[in-house]
Amino acid sequence: MGERVVILGVGLHPFGRHPEKSVGELARVAALGALKDAGVEFKDIQAGFCGHVVQGVGTGLRTFGEVGLTGIPITNVELACASSSRAAMLAADAISGGIYDLAMVIGVEKMERGLLSGVGGAEGGYQAKMGIALMPALYALMAQRHMHLYGTKHEHFAQVSVKSHRNGALNPNAQYQKALTLEDVLNSRMIADPITLYECSPTTDGASAVILASEKKAKQYTKSPVFMDTWAGGTPQYVRGESDFLEGPNTMLAQRVYEKAGIGPEDVDVVQVHDAFSPGEVFLVEELGFCPHGEGGPFVWEGNTEINGRLPINTDGGLLSRGHPIGATGGAMITELTLQLRGQAGPRQVKGAKTALMHNAGIGGVNVIAFKR
Amino acid sequence: MQEAPAERKQVPMKGTRLQLGDSPALLGSRCPQCGEYFYPPRYVCLNCYHEGLEEVALSTRGELYSFTIARAALPGTLMTPPYVIAQVQLTEGVQVATVLTEIDPEAARIGMALELVVEKASVDNEGNDVMTFKFRPAKEA
Repeated sequence: MGERVVILGVGLHPFGRHPEKSVGELARVAALGALKDAGVEFKDIQAGFCGHVVQGVGTGLRTFGEVGLTGIPITNVELACASSSRAAMLAADAISGGIYDLAMVIGVEKMERGLLSGVGGAEGGYQAKMGIALMPALYALMAQRHMHLYGTKHEHFAQVSVKSHRNGALNPNAQYQKALTLEDVLNSRMIADPITLYECSPTTDGASAVILASEKKAKQYTKSPVFMDTWAGGTPQYVRGESDFLEGPNTMLAQRVYEKAGIGPEDVDVVQVHDAFSPGEVFLVEELGFCPHGEGGPFVWEGNTEINGRLPINTDGGLLSRGHPIGATGGAMITELTLQLRGQAGPRQVKGAKTALMHNAGIGGVNVIAFKR
Repeated sequence: MQEAPAERKQVPMKGTRLQLGDSPALLGSRCPQCGEYFYPPRYVCLNCYHEGLEEVALSTRGELYSFTIARAALPGTLMTPPYVIAQVQLTEGVQVATVLTEIDPEAARIGMALELVVEKASVDNEGNDVMTFKFRPAKEA
């Protein structure tokens, strides 16, 4: 067992539409916020990891360079919507292994309006030409299957978005800060049955920053550390005769994290899951072990995942309302859980939260992380 | 003697592997070692890691594993909404991402029997017919 890893500081540039701002400016605001939050000077940071997807060559140096040029190694990390959580895992691996005492992650993205393509990459492929590569359609295929197998209702999925928007209204950094009714969600424009417009995460401009430290180093800065306790990343596994649409082995990763962290799903007080589209939360409460398979719809519908519910999920509005600047999202998830475990989440605070779990998925891999205080 | 008009050549859409002509089919891979099937074709078997899989014409029949009705389209696609995006499970067990044709989108149901259609999607710069594939409700049992 290596050094324990502490989340020493977190910062965000508010998520939303910021066409007038550069990627550097978005990153700078988040980075300075995290440094101030940690009480750390940039000259003491030993390594930088930058999560982004489409910001181009050298974005790591371009963004870190906004707050200083100290000669440290900076690594760009691309894992689609899970880029900055993977960046944090790489930083944590290095700290845990004794390579660094203090590292910083920046996640940043500026995005175009409109629908995202899900598959094919730069080579396109027939999926793009034939209209199959529609990102919401990938979740819709999973949702239809879930409805077919378990009798899950569209209302169950839509309720995720209602809850998400209610939480977003309590978050000054969220892209959407307005509550929606179930009717608003169900009656918004259908995109890919059963997913409506208000069940899709938006495209977003924003940045996140996270400062990670060894436990020993963190003692110089804080008496009540929040630990990034355990983390596991993975990719889909081929199993003969089985097929699913998952971006990764969610259940296996969660089990690995629970085991290493010495906890079970029943010990988790607050959660972040990847709700790029509303069915995501329904699938994930099952896959992360919070309810039996097939019961995710009713579990969410009955209010268990509300801030005052049994298992608060996406207290900051999640991808659906906080927004989803893809490279920055993982860092924003870490930010919210860190605030929750410190008791600094204001009107969104989950009382007495001590243990948190996070799931961040991207095309090409999934990350699951447990936090403790 | 009059020359017969040159027959337009058919070429598969980039990213697809199709058997064109009289008995159109998807060309997939079969592992000679463990018998696993794949589409699109691949070189290494994901089940047993055997290298060099055989090219085989896959069954033209399958059933609807899941679907959605796309009500909005990405720019640059050939489809006009609404249309059905489908995951089809072929008789061999292979799943293929495709779209449905010759169907009222509202009539799509998981489990319904489907059959392959190979049709012209466009004409390329050299005047060839670019062929693609879709699935439609199976005509007979």
